Amino acid sequence: MAVTQQEASARRGWRRRDRRGTAGLLAGPLIWLLLFFVIPVAFVAAYSVGAVDLFPTDPGVVSLASWQRLLTGGSVYMGLFWKSIRMSLTVSAIVVLLAYPTGYFLALCVGRRKYVLLLLIIAPFLTSYLLRVLAWKVILGDAGVINSFLSWTGMQSPDDPITWFLYSRFTVMLVLAYIWVPFVALPVFVSLDKLDKSLLEAASDLGASRWRTFVRVTLPLSLSGVFAAFLFVFIPTIGEFVTPLLVGGTSGYMYGNSIQDLFTKGLDWQTGSTLALFLLGVVAVLMAAFGRFLRVRAVVA
Amino acid sequence: MIRAIIPARTTTRGEAVMVEKRFTREVGRRDFLRYAGYAGMSVSMAGVLAACRDADTPSGGSSGSVKASIPPIEQEPGGLQVFDWSGYGNGDYYPKEEKKFLWGQYAKATGDTPEFALFENDDSAYTKVVAGARYDVAHPCGYRYGDWVDLGVMQPWDTSLISNFSSLNPKLMAAGQFDGQQYFVPMDWGFIAPLVNLDHVDGSDETFGVLFDERYKGKIAWIDTLNMMVVAGYTLGIENPWDMSDEELAEVRDFLVSKKGLVRFYWNQSYDFWLAFKKGEVWAGYSWPDTVGYADAAGMNYLYMQPKEGRISWVCGLGLFADTENYRHAHEYANSWASKEAAEFLLAYYYYGHTNTEADPSVVPDGVRTALGLDDPTVLDEPKAHPETHIPRRSIYQQYWSEVQAA
Repeated sequence: MAVTQQEASARRGWRRRDRRGTAGLLAGPLIWLLLFFVIPVAFVAAYSVGAVDLFPTDPGVVSLASWQRLLTGGSVYMGLFWKSIRMSLTVSAIVVLLAYPTGYFLALCVGRRKYVLLLLIIAPFLTSYLLRVLAWKVILGDAGVINSFLSWTGMQSPDDPITWFLYSRFTVMLVLAYIWVPFVALPVFVSLDKLDKSLLEAASDLGASRWRTFVRVTLPLSLSGVFAAFLFVFIPTIGEFVTPLLVGGTSGYMYGNSIQDLFTKGLDWQTGSTLALFLLGVVAVLMAAFGRFLRVRAVVA
Repeated sequence: MIRAIIPARTTTRGEAVMVEKRFTREVGRRDFLRYAGYAGMSVSMAGVLAACRDADTPSGGSSGSVKASIPPIEQEPGGLQVFDWSGYGNGDYYPKEEKKFLWGQYAKATGDTPEFALFENDDSAYTKVVAGARYDVAHPCGYRYGDWVDLGVMQPWDTSLISNFSSLNPKLMAAGQFDGQQYFVPMDWGFIAPLVNLDHVDGSDETFGVLFDERYKGKIAWIDTLNMMVVAGYTLGIENPWDMSDEELAEVRDFLVSKKGLVRFYWNQSYDFWLAFKKGEVWAGYSWPDTVGYADAAGMNYLYMQPKEGRISWVCGLGLFADTENYRHAHEYANSWASKEAAEFLLAYYYYGHTNTEADPSVVPDGVRTALGLDDPTVLDEPKAHPETHIPRRSIYQQYWSEVQAA
């Protein structure tokens, strides 16, 4: 207890300044969050219970009816939600399976030129999302690249092209997977790139085969990147609506499409808001449950 | 909206004090999130409550403009704000011609260049205006005119300021009149009917049923809106497909679900439908007149059906916003749109009809003219055509239509 009064007060003063600084630094993001996230979400919530109405002629009765309809009984939207979850899970799994070897190759096999190659993989991101989706229409259409090739080789009659290539659930998943692969290769690459290479040398010194090294050392150490990659795809694709709109046909319709239709075509903002909030809630729960795998600082280079 | 912000702002200040006090403790990430939550909840609830209060008082705005108080055109700000479909003057489809024919006269008379805001369908346009968007002139379609007028955001045109008004078909002007005043000036019109490729489809039986015909499995296109419910309603012989009961809606839904497997895709843009029709990806589809024109120009063997259930007709027109500062500019613009030149442009380039009776239908190729019935003065009358009508139970229709799409 040999602290003089002067020292103590100086420390208090320093602490006070520090606290004030923290508050000041936090104010910006806090206000941003409020204005552009919390308040809009509160408005959506108000629409979902009928506290705010789209039309002045609406009854303006606050009720949980639309929530009740969604959560109880065989709501058509709940069925769609599970369909979207299944599609997103499939897409995420495929994308991770495709992206892992890519990331592995870039991080451990290429050597000096890895960043150039990484840039090449990311390059498609520089073009418009819509363009990339529409390009698939050219490739997969009845008179598209693949069908023309098949009929040229004589494997398929030109009068009987393969029609499920375009406007189907398959197309939606194919296009989504294509769009997300480069984005997912990045976290995998980063987690493998910062892997301590001496561990791999140690494994081989101790007589482990390459396969055993991968299973026992490389894969476990890169799992956080894999999980992050999986969530990077899974979360945005549940609410996806543009791709199904463009190439989904009648069977590719997803949960996000029904939200968009309710807002822009059905003019039922109450149900639309309920669906949107439900999706937000599910994503929030997923983030909370798996957030520790999303170590953003560790993943984003 | 302004009223909604004031209480929120007050609360922010109150909260800020509280937040600062709380920060005298160590602030961890968890705490930060909690405080952000507290602050957000209270501020946003204040905002929501204020918004509810706003919703209670109907948005005012009345018509009844006093002509004497309207300033001369020189005193108006110009920069006319036009809320319209893409391709109706903004230059999306025919950059030079749209300007020249649809508002060239306007530009000459006023020296002004209009600014365009676009909507993609009637419903989103209406929603946007309900949500508070305001322009000088809007171009919605007939079945929603009543809703726009009811909103109290429109005012009647002074038709004496539109010199071309006398050339417009008086019979068709009725759709835009409310309380004896011309709130909308109907101009462009067209149809909804099945378009089929006669190389593959039997055209002897003209019916909407071709869109639900098992023989053309995988070669049919539907539109991506709940209008399909109405078309199915006509096909099933339901008395008023624009206002169906729950039982009728359930019948229509079950019918559409059972036929959905025949459909290749739902179209959102008529051009997408045209591309698929041209390539032979589909042989039959829900179609607007523009696709008929393209098919004719491409020399296809097509039929734009006059279904036994009757075509569905639509007519769109210009409306004037109540709080416009460009009153006289807006009338010049409507005058430009009502002209013979504008009418012939719409006929020749989009294959749409126009209410201007002086327009010469021979600007349209013979085949298209016959297909659309542009020479037939009764083509828009019952029972040949049913006017597109307001659907009072729209959100219920949407639920049933969602069930079709999700099935």
